[in-house]
Amino acid sequence: MTFAACALAVARKDLLTEWRSREVLPALAQFVLLALVVTLFAFDLDAASAARIAPGVLWLVVLFAGLVAFGRAFAAEKEQASLEALLLTPAGPVAIFAGKALAAAAVLLACEAVLVPGIGVFLGVGLPPLAVAAVLLSTVGMAALGCLFSALAVQTRARELLLPVLALPIWIPFVVYGAAALTGRAPQALANLLALDILVVVVAGLAARFVLDD
Amino acid sequence: MTRGVGGGKGFARPAQGGSPPISTRLRAAVIGCALAFAAAAYMDFVFAPEDSLQGPVQRIFYLHVSSAIAAYACFALVLIGGILYLRREDPRPDRLARAAAPVGLLFTSVTFVMGMIWAKPIWNWDPSKTWDARLSSTAVLWAVYAGYILVRRFAPPGRTAARLAAVVGIVGFVDVPVVHFSVLWWRTLHPQPVIETGALPASMLAAWLVTLLAVLLLTGTLVATRYVTERNRELAEARRDRHELVRLESAAEVP
Repeated sequence: MTFAACALAVARKDLLTEWRSREVLPALAQFVLLALVVTLFAFDLDAASAARIAPGVLWLVVLFAGLVAFGRAFAAEKEQASLEALLLTPAGPVAIFAGKALAAAAVLLACEAVLVPGIGVFLGVGLPPLAVAAVLLSTVGMAALGCLFSALAVQTRARELLLPVLALPIWIPFVVYGAAALTGRAPQALANLLALDILVVVVAGLAARFVLDD
Repeated sequence: MTRGVGGGKGFARPAQGGSPPISTRLRAAVIGCALAFAAAAYMDFVFAPEDSLQGPVQRIFYLHVSSAIAAYACFALVLIGGILYLRREDPRPDRLARAAAPVGLLFTSVTFVMGMIWAKPIWNWDPSKTWDARLSSTAVLWAVYAGYILVRRFAPPGRTAARLAAVVGIVGFVDVPVVHFSVLWWRTLHPQPVIETGALPASMLAAWLVTLLAVLLLTGTLVATRYVTERNRELAEARRDRHELVRLESAAEVP
C-alpha cells in the first residue's frame, strides 16, 4: 500500500468509528453551543460590540474545540490499547499519523460548521467571510500540530493537562495571521497562513516518526 | 558555552586523575562570573555615557539584550541536543538539552523583566493600554519551554521522556521565529536592532560586549553545573538500582 492509501485507510477507519458510535461530534457540537451561551453572559453585548468581538469568539472556541477533538484522536486509541496494534501493521507511523490528523481535521471542520452559523444566531451578527476563510485554512495546520502533541501527550501522565500547555503557544501564529486577515492586509495574511500550513505539516510529518516510536 | 560543557565532562572525574575536583572548578567559575559581572557593572554604569534622549533607563539595554542572546543560545542547545539524541540515542546530548532548558527559561524571564522596567518610563507603558508584539512573542517563547520542562516531568523517565522532549524542543525552536516574525509583521512598538547596523556608539558597544561576556560566562557555568548534577543523579539512581537488585537476589537465596 502506498503512503496515501494507508493514510486514507486510517482516516476512513477513524471517521467510520465516529459515525457508528457518534461520540465525539455530538459532544463537541454541544461544547461549541455552550461556549456561545457563556459568551452571551460573559460579555456586555450590544449591536456594535457583538460585531467587534465575533471574530475573537470564533478563534477562542475553535482553539478550545480543537484541543478536545485532537485530544480524543489518540486518547481513544490509547484507552483501547489499539495504537500498538495499529503500529504493528506494515503501515508506516507517519502514514498512520497523517490519517489520524486528517480524520481529526474533518471532525474539527464539522464542528466549525456548527460554530459559524451558531455565532450568527447567538450574537446576531454575520462573521466576516475573511475570518471564516482564515479559520478554515488554519484547521489544516492546527490539526497537524494538535495531533502531534496529542500523540505525545497520551504517552505521559496528565495527558489532558499537557496537550493545551503544548499546543496553545505553538498555535499562536495561526491566530496572529487570522486576526491580521481582518485588518486590511487580507491577501498577504491568507498567503502567510497557507505557507504556515505547509511548514507545519512538513515539521509534524518529520517529527511524527519519533513520537510514534515504541 | 561549549567550553562550559566540555569542562563538564571532566567535572566528576576522580581528583587523582590529574584534573582538579569539581568543587575547585566550580569555585573558579563562580569567581570568574563575579569578576565579570563586576566589570560589566562598571562598564554599564560608569564607563558608558548616558543616553541623551532616554537618560539612565537606557542602561537596561546592556543586560536586556545580553540575556535575550543567552536565552536563545540555551534554546539552541536544547535544539541541538534534541537532534543529536534522536539520531543516536546517546544520553549525553539529552542531558545537555535537559540542563540548558531551565537556564534558557531563567534568562527569558530576566529579558522580560528588564524590558518591562525599561518600557514603563519610555513608552509610558501600561499593559492594559499598550500591546507590544515582542512582549507577546516572548511570552509565547516562555510558554513553549515551560511546556518542554513539563513534558520531561510528566513523561515516563528514561528513553520516552528524552524522545518526547526532543520533539518538543525541535518543534518549539521552529515555531519561535515564526511567532517572532508574525507579530513583527503585524505591529510593534519595540525598537529596531541597533547593534548589527552600527548605530551604537563605540563606548556603548564596549559596555555591551563586556556585559554579554559576563552573561554568557554565567550561562555556561549554570548549564555545566546542571549537566554534572543530572549525570550524578543518573549515576546515583543506577547504583541504587544495582544495590536493590543485589539485595533482592540475596534475599531470594536465603531459603
